[in-house]
Amino acid sequence: MQPESAAAAPSRRSVLDLLLGAGVLGWIASIAYPVLRYLKPISLQEGAGPLRLTREELARLERERSLILRSGATRVLVFEDAEQRLRALEARCTHEGCTVQYVPGDSNVWCACHNGRFDLDGRVVAGPPPRPLARWTAQREPDGGVVVAPAPRTEQA
Amino acid sequence: MSVSPPRRGLFSWLDRRYDLAPLAAFLQHKEVPLGVHSIFWYYLGGLTLFFFSVQIATGLLLLVYYQVGEQTSYESIRFITTKVPFGWLVRSMHCWSAHLMIVSLVLHMLSTMMLKAYRTPRELTWITGFALFALALGFGFSGYLLPWNELAFFATAVGTDSVKAVPWIGEWLMHVLRGGPDVSGHTLYRFFALHVVVLPLSVFAVVGLHLLLIQRQGMAPPLGREAPRGMRFFPDFMLRDLLLWLIGLILLATLAVFLPYGPRIPGIEWELGRKANPLAPAYPGIKPEWYFLWVYQLLKEFPPHILGLEGPQAALAVVTVLFAIWALVPFLDRRSRRDEPSPAFTDLGVAAVLFIGFLTLKAWDIGGGKAAQPDPQAVARACAIWAFGAGLVATALRRALWHHAWFLFSAAALLHIALHGLVGMSYLGSGAIAAIAVAAGLGFTRFRAHRTVPAGDRP
Repeated sequence: MQPESAAAAPSRRSVLDLLLGAGVLGWIASIAYPVLRYLKPISLQEGAGPLRLTREELARLERERSLILRSGATRVLVFEDAEQRLRALEARCTHEGCTVQYVPGDSNVWCACHNGRFDLDGRVVAGPPPRPLARWTAQREPDGGVVVAPAPRTEQA
Repeated sequence: MSVSPPRRGLFSWLDRRYDLAPLAAFLQHKEVPLGVHSIFWYYLGGLTLFFFSVQIATGLLLLVYYQVGEQTSYESIRFITTKVPFGWLVRSMHCWSAHLMIVSLVLHMLSTMMLKAYRTPRELTWITGFALFALALGFGFSGYLLPWNELAFFATAVGTDSVKAVPWIGEWLMHVLRGGPDVSGHTLYRFFALHVVVLPLSVFAVVGLHLLLIQRQGMAPPLGREAPRGMRFFPDFMLRDLLLWLIGLILLATLAVFLPYGPRIPGIEWELGRKANPLAPAYPGIKPEWYFLWVYQLLKEFPPHILGLEGPQAALAVVTVLFAIWALVPFLDRRSRRDEPSPAFTDLGVAAVLFIGFLTLKAWDIGGGKAAQPDPQAVARACAIWAFGAGLVATALRRALWHHAWFLFSAAALLHIALHGLVGMSYLGSGAIAAIAVAAGLGFTRFRAHRTVPAGDRP
């Protein structure tokens, strides 16, 4: 048998090291990937879509002039402005995700968490929120019911 | 050598099997260094560990009745506090001990900072201590949600929303933390697992390492003292430790009995209040726990957009940088590594207290009166007067008592406070001016050192 040359030995060692390293990395990935996929929640809720208010919700809107509803994973604020027009905005503050509220006295929408203020169209008036609230539409039906739906993209503030 | 007759007693029984004599000899010779400063600072780590043990004990008792779930969490906590004999006391002890643990942990960390106990060769002890601090904050944050009340719901909504700012994986991380797009029952399950399994196991591991490192190296002697006097650990130091734990327990029991729902200061109260309702708006005056108040206030101070980033992203980037600087202090402080006095890092500790203290006062709306929407200018002015006054007193005391002469960082913190609160500039504008002043001051100090110190003696 021919003795191995000095140059060949380290190269075989380094190939083995490389294979071993790749094997260890693959082993870690084969554990980490299922765990990470397991932790990522699967989406059980449907996307946000049009919503018809129930009789109880209508009564509450009548009484309190504002109401928060859930459509899929989205919270929607429905309120009646000073001219008794129905309006709707996404209720999740664009700053840190708190739920906003309609303040009839100041005629604006307010987030109590970090004092963000929006106008009735969802545009930021004061405070730290970086983006406007997404607009929704609220329409009275001829039968007296109310339907709330995401506003078309062109209508967003 | 004559063979001595076998000794009796439990120790000798164990010693024959496990060779405990060297351990006993080690304990007899173990010493705690004594220096010019008060030895009180050496007890705070032990006190923190004591409060953590109380957390484990009271946490186990709460687990007997607590049922995690959207329909059961709030109800079971109400059952514990209103129906179970002494249930109110167990919950009150758990809450008070959590706050006292954070207080003693922060004091322990500040004393380590001021005495430069983190210096070489104890860098890893500081890093493990910092990890324990982060785990303690994780405990506070995850435990906050478990009663599933209104306050818990919004605090968790804000806290988990803020991780969106993490580059690349932010959205994924938020979903993983919440178990869905919003805070829900799934968030409760995840936080419960974190609070009672993941975090305690992590703390056991890191505390074990922290104590092992301290055991291996001994406690840090005072700076610049080669052979300080020592106090025997066993029994002299140990008995003093036990005495402080007893005092801690008495303090804890007194507070838990007489103020079962906390002192009713926003951020230090745990009245159960109303059950969480994901479809209710956040209520006015909502605040996180006191040790998160400065971050909460910083989020309010940032404008919607700054330097191409959204306000919350920029605010969290600032918090991350500040935490990173704090964690890396042993590697940044080159003077204390050579066992030389390091006044700049003492001053950095004071400046950190002023910076966080001022933001915390502002978060409490000090000076805003009873108005639901206090005037921000009036609040800034009143808080600035308090923080500036405290800063001046601290500076005078440091000068008079300890002959400190290095005040650049604390002066910048005071300049920031004065420009914002007393002159009326914006928080970020005045902060930028203070940062420029620090940079200029550091440049000048370096320039002067280069001109006056011979090349061989340069730091």
